[in-house]
Amino acid sequence: MELQDTYYNKAEYVETASGNKVSRQTVLCGSQNIVLHGKVIVQSDAIIRGDLANVKTGRFCIISKGSVIRPPFKKFSKGVAFFPLQMGDHVFVGENTVVNAAVVGSYVYIGKNVVIGRRCVLKDCCMIEDNSVLPAETVVPSFARYSGSPARLITTLPEAMPDLMTEFTKSYYQHFLPTTVN
Amino acid sequence: MAYLTQPDYVKYVCSCGQLKPITNLYFCRHCLQIRCAFCICHEVDSHYCANCLENMPSSEARLKKNRCSSCFDCPSCFHTLSTRATLAQPRQSTEQGSGDTKVENKQPKKMYYLSCFNCRWTSRDVGIPDQPVASGGWPERANPYATRVNQLLDYYKAIAQQEKQEKLDRERKKFAIRGKYITLTDKTGLTGAMARNIAGLPSSESSSSAIASFTPSQASEEVEELPEEFYTKELNLNQITSMPQRLASPEWQPTHVSRLHPIAKLLSVKRSQRCRVCDHNLTKPEYNPGSIKFKIELLAFYHVPEVKIISYEPIKPGCTSALLLKLTNPTGHEMQIRLMQPEDIPEPEERVDEPKSIEKSLEKSLNLEKDTSWYETVKRKPILLTECRITIPDVTLTLAQRDDAAEYDDDATHDANDIILWRKSNKLALRLQVVTSGEAQAGAAAGAVLALQYRYRNAVPPAAQPPRDHTLHAALRLHLGPVCG
Repeated sequence: MELQDTYYNKAEYVETASGNKVSRQTVLCGSQNIVLHGKVIVQSDAIIRGDLANVKTGRFCIISKGSVIRPPFKKFSKGVAFFPLQMGDHVFVGENTVVNAAVVGSYVYIGKNVVIGRRCVLKDCCMIEDNSVLPAETVVPSFARYSGSPARLITTLPEAMPDLMTEFTKSYYQHFLPTTVN
Repeated sequence: MAYLTQPDYVKYVCSCGQLKPITNLYFCRHCLQIRCAFCICHEVDSHYCANCLENMPSSEARLKKNRCSSCFDCPSCFHTLSTRATLAQPRQSTEQGSGDTKVENKQPKKMYYLSCFNCRWTSRDVGIPDQPVASGGWPERANPYATRVNQLLDYYKAIAQQEKQEKLDRERKKFAIRGKYITLTDKTGLTGAMARNIAGLPSSESSSSAIASFTPSQASEEVEELPEEFYTKELNLNQITSMPQRLASPEWQPTHVSRLHPIAKLLSVKRSQRCRVCDHNLTKPEYNPGSIKFKIELLAFYHVPEVKIISYEPIKPGCTSALLLKLTNPTGHEMQIRLMQPEDIPEPEERVDEPKSIEKSLEKSLNLEKDTSWYETVKRKPILLTECRITIPDVTLTLAQRDDAAEYDDDATHDANDIILWRKSNKLALRLQVVTSGEAQAGAAAGAVLALQYRYRNAVPPAAQPPRDHTLHAALRLHLGPVCG
């Protein structure tokens, strides 16, 4: 099925020159440490914790409602240290999902109500299904589809995954339209 | 992507008769046929560990029983174990009390243990001593039945070898009888084997030592009684392992949680696919485990026109509903598409028998020719009977080639046509009518079938020929939700 149009209130969203659409109802801590690489949608009630460490996303990323992007920390013998969080291009993060990963590759689909534990590494082209919990320091290989709690490999993804994800995020962006107030 | 999060609304018919979404199909450019995972040959390209992403040569992988040497799974919850470091104060040797050793051991040493971040199991729980190195060096447990298993393996290997040899000998004998004159087989000592055979002796001179020394296992009448405490001792279910935990390490099958040991992580494989009819590769991934690129990638998604449902009116028995479809041309060439009913697809012509050359007949006699009889047994006719029928407009649609720069172009052009709703670079939207028969039952799944006839340009022909155009067909089944009452 083709994606349906989703409408947003034009007054609520800020659109930058590079095409990022960021809701005003979000919590972006330490915004100087947050880099959105263009055509990224950050929906209402999302939280991005740039105050802990740098957060970088690629192009065409979708951060859905109520999700939390939070750089991971590691405990050392002398206190804790936060690590930057990197996200590739064409990444979808579902609603009410918490992402604590160190690296999220490109063409990654993360469902809704998912918890990605500390310092996880999500390679390019992988998928985490809805309502999964990925324990800390897990490596998700390419073309893997993980599900459950703890999330486990359930099946593989088709070889055309990069194109599927590109098409999905691009059409999501195209179908994310301001409401026309007459 | 919608393909992975939604049910499959559009399924294509594979050349073997399976119905699959377009993302799971392959397109053989040499046979010009759609293939699916069911009718192609899957090959293991390389082994790698999904955790440390390191490649392992297949010979080494076989030696290590397809397990990674440095990564472990939790024996309790099967999640990957992480290595954790602690600072261990070395034991002060108080008894000896010699000053020199004390000075040496002042520095706290870093020690490592394995810990599961999901269920909090640690290697210390079962008394595995901490290791001084971060990876590797974990004690390996010997299988208590290793010698017997190896003995059995050797025995069956020897038997297999012997039977193979006998079969070979028999065939050679058949061959030899026909010969009137002295043939090569006489020189290879076959006559000796024949002589033994006539005399009723085993054909091979000496059966291997593995067979001779093998002692078959004995079944005994008497079984050891269960110990008394088995009946009397109170059971603590928290201390007993679950069935999956036991079966995860089949050599030991621990019954008690204190005997759970880390399980070496199983390796993953990179697969390449091959068409079973023409033996050409359909997909071949790059060697590097972290890479998502392919050297060869013949997917239906890149070669067959893609059909997506935009929307449809609810299907009602005896009514006509509108159906909006989106057609996409994924190829780099212009494509003409005609819609048709699947029953109108011409039957594929039987392959004209090639003139039988000497090589061919020789190949046949030597059984080198490809056996394709399996294909007939696998192949089946797809069930494409439905209550809904799509009214097919008699038009030829021309779709422009795929152009990645086109997304920056202007908006879609709206045609005044009743069939084509809009066009945009290599895509177009179609408006079709679905006629549902009056016999359709409310609540049942409604489906409609459609066939496409398309011009496909084979840009990379097998030999250095100019690109050729082919007329190909694809049948597909659309799922249109339940029939409304």
